[in-house]
Amino acid sequence: MDVVSTARPLMSARPTLARRLNEWGLLLGLIGAVIGFIAGYALGSGAISNFYGGGGEPTSLGSDPGILLGYAMSALGFLTGMGFLNYPIGRLLGAKRPTEEDNAYLHGEGGGLGRYFRMTTDHKVIGMQYLVMILAFLFIGGLGAMFIRTELLTPVPSVANAQSYLTLVGLHSTLMIFMASAAIMGPFANYFLPIMIGTRNMAFPRLEAMTFWLLPPAGLILLSTVFLGGFTTGWTGYAPLADQNVLGMDSYLMGFALIGLSIGLAGMNMIATIMTMRAPGMALSRMPVFVWSVLVTSFLGALAAPALIAAVLMEMFSRTYQATFFIPAGGGSPYLWENLFWFFGHPEVYIFMVPAFGLVMEMLPAFARKPLWGRRVGIGGMVGVGVLSFVVWQHHLFVSGIAPSLRPFYMFSTEMISVPTGIIYLVALGTLWRAHTRFSTPMLFIFAFFFNFLIGGFTGVFLSDVPSDFTLHASYFVQAHFHYTIMGGEVFALMGAIVYYLPKMTGRTMDIRLLRFQFWAVFITFNGTFISLIAVGIMGMTRRVISYAAYLQPLNDSATIFAYGLGLSMALFLGILIWEVVIKQRVAAFNPWESLGVEWQVPTPVPTFNFDRMPVSWSLPDNYDTGKPAADFGPTVPALSGAEHE
Amino acid sequence: MRNRATATRVVLIVWIVAAVGGDVALAFGPIPPGQASDLASSESLTILLLAEAAWPVFSAVLAALFFTLVVNKIAPPTAEVSASALRGNTRVQTVWIVTTLVVVLSIAVYGTVALAIDVPGTGISTTSASLPMPTSTDQPLEVQVIAQQWWFTYRYPAYGGIETAQLVLPVNQKIQFHVTSLDVIHSFNFYALGVKADAVPLNDNVITATPTQVGTYRVQCTELCGLWHGNMADNTAMVVSASDFSAWIQEQTALDAPIMKYLPPYSHTYSGSNLPQPGVYAP
Repeated sequence: MDVVSTARPLMSARPTLARRLNEWGLLLGLIGAVIGFIAGYALGSGAISNFYGGGGEPTSLGSDPGILLGYAMSALGFLTGMGFLNYPIGRLLGAKRPTEEDNAYLHGEGGGLGRYFRMTTDHKVIGMQYLVMILAFLFIGGLGAMFIRTELLTPVPSVANAQSYLTLVGLHSTLMIFMASAAIMGPFANYFLPIMIGTRNMAFPRLEAMTFWLLPPAGLILLSTVFLGGFTTGWTGYAPLADQNVLGMDSYLMGFALIGLSIGLAGMNMIATIMTMRAPGMALSRMPVFVWSVLVTSFLGALAAPALIAAVLMEMFSRTYQATFFIPAGGGSPYLWENLFWFFGHPEVYIFMVPAFGLVMEMLPAFARKPLWGRRVGIGGMVGVGVLSFVVWQHHLFVSGIAPSLRPFYMFSTEMISVPTGIIYLVALGTLWRAHTRFSTPMLFIFAFFFNFLIGGFTGVFLSDVPSDFTLHASYFVQAHFHYTIMGGEVFALMGAIVYYLPKMTGRTMDIRLLRFQFWAVFITFNGTFISLIAVGIMGMTRRVISYAAYLQPLNDSATIFAYGLGLSMALFLGILIWEVVIKQRVAAFNPWESLGVEWQVPTPVPTFNFDRMPVSWSLPDNYDTGKPAADFGPTVPALSGAEHE
Repeated sequence: MRNRATATRVVLIVWIVAAVGGDVALAFGPIPPGQASDLASSESLTILLLAEAAWPVFSAVLAALFFTLVVNKIAPPTAEVSASALRGNTRVQTVWIVTTLVVVLSIAVYGTVALAIDVPGTGISTTSASLPMPTSTDQPLEVQVIAQQWWFTYRYPAYGGIETAQLVLPVNQKIQFHVTSLDVIHSFNFYALGVKADAVPLNDNVITATPTQVGTYRVQCTELCGLWHGNMADNTAMVVSASDFSAWIQEQTALDAPIMKYLPPYSHTYSGSNLPQPGVYAP
C-alpha cells in the first residue's frame, strides 16, 4: 500500500531520534505497558496496601489498588512508549518545533505498511487501524456469543459453570459495547470526515491517534479479567454486586474507563474539526448527511462519556478506598450507579445508531440514483434523536422503585424517540420513491438495516410502555430488542459500509457472488436467532441466566441453531474480507458505485494529505439528477502542509 | 402504467389483509402474561392493544418499503422524476411527522391512563419504613419479599411476621408485595401475576396485584445478582383458596414458633441495626 503522490518526496536520508523511536512505537508501548503495570502494581499493592496499612484486602491474586494502579500505569506506559508524550515533553525541554518533514513523517508519509503499526496522525491510517481493531473485537465477542448459546442448549449448566458463564456474558457484552461505540465512528468517520469536509487533517491529530490507541489497552485489560477470576455483573456493572466481585471486576472498570475516555475525546476532536476545519464553501447547509450524524454523535459522546468515567471512578474508589458511594449500609445508594450508568448508557446506544443512520443515508442516494429526499428533515431527525436520548434513561429503571409519578414522563419521552427515527424511514422511502434502485450488495445490507431496525423499533414500543414493561423488562425480549437495533441495525450498516467503502480505503474489493450468499445467510440466521429470542422473552425467560425453566428449551435450541449459522456467516464475511483483500488482492474499480461524493473523486489510494488539488465550488454530495460531483477540484497544490494544525 | 396501478392495488390489498388478519389473530391468541391476576390481565391488555396498534403500522412500513423498492420504480435509463419526489415535499413530511406524533401521543396517553387506573399503588417505593402505604378500601394483605443471594424468603406481617421459604397466596385477595433486599440488587418476578419489582437493599419497593386463578407458579429473580442468579427461581409458588391459605398459615405458624424469637422484628427494610448480629441465631 504505497502512497502514490504527485508531490515531491519529503523524507530526508537520515532519520532523527524521534523517528527511530516512533518506528518502534508499538514495541516500546508494550514494554512501557509491562513496566507501567509492574510499577503500578508494586506501588498500589505494596506501598498503599501494606506500607500505609490501607487499601483493599490483598488476596492470593493481589489487591484491588495494586491491580487498578497497575492497569492505569500500564495504559499510561503504553501511550508513553507509543510516543504520545514525545512532543509535549520535547517542547517543554526546549526542543524546536517539528519541521514540516517531521510532521509529514508522523502523518505516515512513506511509511508503507509499517505506519499501521505505529502512532501516526493520518486520519486514514487511524481509520484503517480502527477497522481492524473493531473487527477483532467483533470476532472475539462473537466467539463469546457462540459459547453462551451453546451453554443455553440445555436448561441446566452443561459446558460452563456459573462463574465462567457469567464472565463470558460480561465479556461478550462489554466487548461488543466497546466494538459498537466505535464501529462506524472509528473507521468511517475518521477516514472520510476530513475528506468530506475538504480538510487535510483533523483538528487534533495526536488526540485522534490517542482515541484509537486507547482501544488495544482497553480490550486487553478487559480480557485479562479471565486471569483475575472474571466478573459477574454483565456489562451494566450494577453495584453493590460490583463491590462484592473479585479482582476481575477491576478489569471491567478500567477497560470501560479507557473506552469512555476514547469516546469523549473522539467526540471533542470531531466537533472541533467539523466546526472549524471545513473548506471554504463547505457551508453547514452543504455538509454531507454522514458528517451531520458524526456531529450529533460527537456531542453525545462528549456529553455522556464523562458520566461513565465518573461512575467507574467512584466504583474504583469504592473497591479500593472504602468509599461507599453505592452501598446503602455505608450511606450510599445503588440508584446512584444505576442513574450515572444509564445517563451514559442511553445516549451510548445512540452513539451506536446515529452514525449508522447517517452512513445509510449517505450511501442510499448512490444506489437510488436520486438525491437524498428530505435531507433537512432527516438531519433534524438525527438531531432530535440526539437531544431526546438524554432524557429517556429512566426507562431502564421502570421497575426499580422510582417514584410512580415520574414514570409517565419517561414513558412519553421514550415513545417520542420513534418520531425522529420514523423520519429516517421517511427519508429512505422518499429517496427510493420512483427510483431505479441498484441492488448492489451494500444496498442489500441497507435494506436489511431498515428491516431489522424496524423490528428493533417496534419491540422498543412495548418496553417503553410501563404496564407492558412490567412483563417484558429484563427478559430475553429486551435482549432481542437491542440485538435487533445494534446488531441488526448498526452491524448490518457496518457490513454494508465495509463493502461500499473498501474500494476507496484499500483499492480492493470483494467477490459479489459470495457476498450475496453471505448476505442472505446472515440476514436469515440473524432473524431466526432473534425472533426465537423475542418469543422466549415474552414467555418469561430472564436475561443472563445459566438455568431456565424447562418449557423454554425448544425455543432456546432453535435460537442456538440459528446462532451457529449466524456465527458461521459472520465468520464467512471476515473470511471473504481477508481472502479477497489481503491475500487475493482483487483490484477494485475506481468508483464502483458511481458516487458523486467528494471522497470518491480523490485518487485511490488517497494522497497523504488528502488533496493534491484542493476541492472548490462545493455543492451537495448527491446531485444525481444533474450528475454534478460534490466539488470541483482547483489547480494542483503541493501535498505539503496540513502541518499548520499539528 | 396500467401494470403499476394493478401492482399498487395488489400491494394495498395484501397489506390490508395482512393487517386485519394479523390483528384478528392477535385478538384470539394467548397474550402473555395471561389472566392469573388483575395486574397480569391489565398488562396482557396493554400488550395486546400495543400489538394491535403496532402490527398494521409495522406491516404498512414493510409494504411501503416493498412497494417502493419493487413496484414503484422506473425503468432504466432514469426517466424524469417529479420535483417533489426529488428533494423533498413539505406536505408529505408534515403529514408523516404529524401522524407519527399523533400515534405516539395516543400510545403515551393510553399508557399513562392505564398506569393510573389499572395498576394503582404499583411500585411505590420508599427508603423509610414509616411512610404511609397507599390507602385502599379493600384491605390488602401485606406480603414481604426478602431477596438475598440466592433465594427469596417471605414474611406475613398480618400473621405475626412469620417467615417462610415458599410463597403461598390466597386467591381473590389483594396482595401488597413489599420487596426488599439484604445484599445486592435483585428483582422479584412473579411472571404469571405480572409482578416485577427490583429488590434494592434498604429500599421498600411496593407492588400490588390480586391473584385470580388458583395454581402453582414460578417466581424468579430477574436482575443479575451474582453467581447463582440463574438458579434463584422457585417453581412452587402457589395461589390457593382462602381456606387452604388459613390452613397453610396455621401450619407455618406452628413450624415457625420455635424460631420466632430469633427473627428480627418485622420491618420494611433490614439493615445492620435491625438484623441480628452474627451468632445470635444460635440457641
